[in-house]
Amino acid sequence: MHNTISEHEGCFSAIICVRNELGLHARPAARIAQEAQKFQCELRLVVDDQEVDAKSILDILSLAAARGTELTLKGWGDDAKQALEHMAHVFQCTLGEGA
Amino acid sequence: MAREILHGVAVSAGISIGKAFFINRQSRRHIPRETIPASKVDYEIDRLTSASAQVREEFEAARAKVPEELREHGAIIDSHLMICQDPKLMLAAATRIRERGITAEWALEQSVESIAAAFSAIDDPYIRERIQDVRVVAERIMQRLLGGKDTSRALEERMVLMAHDLTPADTIELEQDKIMSFATCEGGKTSHTGILARSLQIPAIVGVEGLEETVRDGDLIIVDALRGRILIGPTEDELADYSDLKYQFENYQKSIVRQCKLPGETVDGFRLDIQANIELADELQSVLDNGGEGVGLYRTEYAFLNRKEAPSEEELYREYATIAERLAPAKVTLRTLDVGADKMMNTQEKLEEANPALGLRGIRYCLKNQELFRRQLRAILRASVHGNVAVMFPMISGIKEVRQARYQLNIVRQELDEAGIPYNPNMPVGIMIELPSAVMISETLAQEVDFFSIGTNDLIQYSLGIDRANKHVSYLYQPLHPAIVRSIKYVVDAAHRAGIEVSVCGEVASDPYCIPILMGMQIDAVSIAPQAIPGIKRIIRQVNMEECKQLLRDVLSHATVSKINRKVRQTIFKRFPEELTFFASLLDQDD
Repeated sequence: MHNTISEHEGCFSAIICVRNELGLHARPAARIAQEAQKFQCELRLVVDDQEVDAKSILDILSLAAARGTELTLKGWGDDAKQALEHMAHVFQCTLGEGA
Repeated sequence: MAREILHGVAVSAGISIGKAFFINRQSRRHIPRETIPASKVDYEIDRLTSASAQVREEFEAARAKVPEELREHGAIIDSHLMICQDPKLMLAAATRIRERGITAEWALEQSVESIAAAFSAIDDPYIRERIQDVRVVAERIMQRLLGGKDTSRALEERMVLMAHDLTPADTIELEQDKIMSFATCEGGKTSHTGILARSLQIPAIVGVEGLEETVRDGDLIIVDALRGRILIGPTEDELADYSDLKYQFENYQKSIVRQCKLPGETVDGFRLDIQANIELADELQSVLDNGGEGVGLYRTEYAFLNRKEAPSEEELYREYATIAERLAPAKVTLRTLDVGADKMMNTQEKLEEANPALGLRGIRYCLKNQELFRRQLRAILRASVHGNVAVMFPMISGIKEVRQARYQLNIVRQELDEAGIPYNPNMPVGIMIELPSAVMISETLAQEVDFFSIGTNDLIQYSLGIDRANKHVSYLYQPLHPAIVRSIKYVVDAAHRAGIEVSVCGEVASDPYCIPILMGMQIDAVSIAPQAIPGIKRIIRQVNMEECKQLLRDVLSHATVSKINRKVRQTIFKRFPEELTFFASLLDQDD
């Protein structure tokens, strides 16, 4: 899928596609914020020109990312690499088919 | 007469009689908007933090108590838990306390309003409404700050639960077997309260105006969630009448659900296909549970709305194939993209039409955006090998549009042939009859297609020239206007002469007063909301064709709406005295 993680000057990033029926709504947003809060590093989500905190459910909701939207997940800090790997997996489960 | 009657939207049918019990009432208190000295900043931040920690614990406790069958609602509590510790709310409030030197209450209030302002700019109505979740969570924290008692007060007896808005956490904390019904000020058909009430099978009315101002804790009230009314301080007579009605309704409900899998067949063996109108694959279960025999109208526009770009062919194909597979061998009729007017796509450029309802909508939009149209048709054709799929074009006004649409379909077929992709070459192609012009030429249109579906909602609006959402003219929305009855009959006869099937989708088909008239015309199928299926099947199973035909003859012999409505009411009421007490008819507004 789109889960290849790349690194550029200490900033890790991955591209994720929203695949679930209702888009990034309350339930997946809660799950993403919940998982993101487990890490120390800064985690941000980018859609077009909007960039938000991946640890805030309200920020995630404010993206109003519908099905088919491509998101970039960015992370920097000590545990950024593990965070990205974990989050990419969370996104795949949460926003994958049938979620 | 009751001392007072309030009105709202009935979201879960039923009746309950009991004492009112408000939750969250104490939170409607004065919020101290005060500045504080620098020495008290840390103290205020501590108060805020511990209030939020308490609420988080309550949510966690509620989460642990969610029964298996309500796991869906557990997820809503999860999102409330996350809001409770969200930096946008809590960190922002703490920063406000520090920077502005204000009380924790005031800082929290400001944070909520700033989030509300950001959310109000969101296009997606579902996400925009999530601000209610933020308010609910903040409200709880506010209660703790204000020294409010625990909301999870145990109910001592069975009560009617009243609230400004009700969250799953609120509900689950209370003992559900003591809740007789819900009534809230906020909310609509799709609010959490509505979903929860329906899954718990508890009567509920939401969006009740004046609820908080009028009802007091302990008031005796009747919640009439059949008609969306709340009677406060009812009389002895009203209590007696409603007790009877409640008893009858509960028995009736049990019996129709038990019988919903039986066919929609009249006493004398005339069989009507009872299909469902849906817009999401998620609704399939409810179609099957309610005894639906297929999907007569799948509104495909849902996948196109509220998103930046139109869905891909692959995405649409998967959606349609899933539905086709799950319903097979039953039929699913996919209506092609019907946007415009009240359903504008984000991708649709701002057309700035003066009269969007008379503008670029339905098939007109698709024929102007052929690439998009063919993308959808390719997905539909590819899905056609996975089950019993039919395609239907909306808003047809004349022959040319049918031919142009079919031409696009043929292009797609050729492309699929060339690419060696399988599809059903005999997939039925039909059209919606919802414009008066299509009615008048239905005889010729019938030569061009395999089936008709009469969309009565739009047919009524376009025939009578009224917008029923417009309160100034909505009284003119009359399903049994002679022009409408004659139009429908004209189309049904034209279809049958040409040997094609005709169904009726639209609210008329789920109205117990109208269905016998449609049956008198010998329509082949109806397509209605899944929840309406058991009740309509039950009526069909009790009538015979001769009486339906007689009723139709009577209706056709009258020239005015009021005479027709009176005749229909008399006849149907005589035939189904009990059942009709439970239905709100489209004819009721004529009173």
